[in-house]
Amino acid sequence: MHEWALADAVIEATSSALAGRKPSCLRAVTVTVGELQAIDHEIFSFALSTLLEERPFRTAVFHLETEPARFLCGACEKEWSLSETRDLSDQTREAIHFLPEAAHAFIRCPFCSSPDYRVQKGRGVSIASLTLDASESCA
Amino acid sequence: MIDPQTIDPRGAVVQRRLAGVGRIAAFCSAKGGVGKTLCTAVAGLALAGQGKKVGILDLDFQGSTAHVFLGVPPRFPEEEKGLLPLAVTDGLCLMSAAAFAGNRALALRGPEVSDAILELLAVTQWGRLDLLLIDMPPGIGEEVLDLGRLIPRMEALVVSTPSTASTAVVERLIAFLAEMRIVVAGVIANMVRGDAGHVRDMARKFQVPFAGEVEYDSGIESAIGFPARLAGSRTAASLLAALHAADLTRETGREG
Repeated sequence: MHEWALADAVIEATSSALAGRKPSCLRAVTVTVGELQAIDHEIFSFALSTLLEERPFRTAVFHLETEPARFLCGACEKEWSLSETRDLSDQTREAIHFLPEAAHAFIRCPFCSSPDYRVQKGRGVSIASLTLDASESCA
Repeated sequence: MIDPQTIDPRGAVVQRRLAGVGRIAAFCSAKGGVGKTLCTAVAGLALAGQGKKVGILDLDFQGSTAHVFLGVPPRFPEEEKGLLPLAVTDGLCLMSAAAFAGNRALALRGPEVSDAILELLAVTQWGRLDLLLIDMPPGIGEEVLDLGRLIPRMEALVVSTPSTASTAVVERLIAFLAEMRIVVAGVIANMVRGDAGHVRDMARKFQVPFAGEVEYDSGIESAIGFPARLAGSRTAASLLAALHAADLTRETGREG
């Protein structure tokens, strides 16, 4: 379950972002999960909550927000979404799940078939925001 | 609220993923076709044959062939709180983008190369290794810049053929590595048919160790894909000597 490695990264990066602040003042973390990587939310959430138990900010709540994938073709300049992408087999989805850049080996522009495109949004996992307790003791 | 910018969490765990790795050396050359992948693969096999635990990370996304040299068909890695490198032989394992892209072209732009490097470093569970050998793509680009920042303790093994066409370009790389503060553990002259003086002189000029010569081996082509034959080749013996000369077989303290 490689979701654990990504959850581990989120917890570690959260800890680093709290440098100089009281860790126990962390209330919430918003984690953006790119549609392209298609991580298993249940496993990812379980990994986050398990790894969180060892941290001083263990009471923080982690919210997962899925970011839809958007692609921009460099050849025809049209945009498209993952659902408009043709025929992705389970094997292909799995490859992209492990390494989102593998998309470039499989996905082509649905309008002109070009392999020249960018993933504009919705690639992988990132931390969108951390919310701290607003009380004076946490200032 | 802390919301300066979106935080990419992956960099936070790179050091921890590599904490069980003793030494990290990248086979690099600004010139293509000098035999970096052959050197990486055969060095890995030779070291594993000496009882070392070795990992190979193939970062030549556009031309990944370490798996071809090592006779490892592309397949998905097993998962264990991350991705486990593919087993090659007893003591040698491999992580490559080919495990996901197979034999398809993987045309990536600069930021995508950086993303793929960071992803592989963040999710690969190498465990305990004596050495991690990195097969770099030709050129001086994202890979050198990113690894210099993400793995400051990485050392470089610079590969060049004796051709002046190769040394002229490789000189730029050595000068650049110095600017990046990446230690050059050694320069290896590869595919040597006669005199490797150019390469030796280049190492002297830049005051970096000359690790040795690997003679052109006409039999190596038929050994590609056969780890035992590669490990038993003259090339393997020469590379082992070069790694000793570059002091890369010496144990150093692991972080974890």
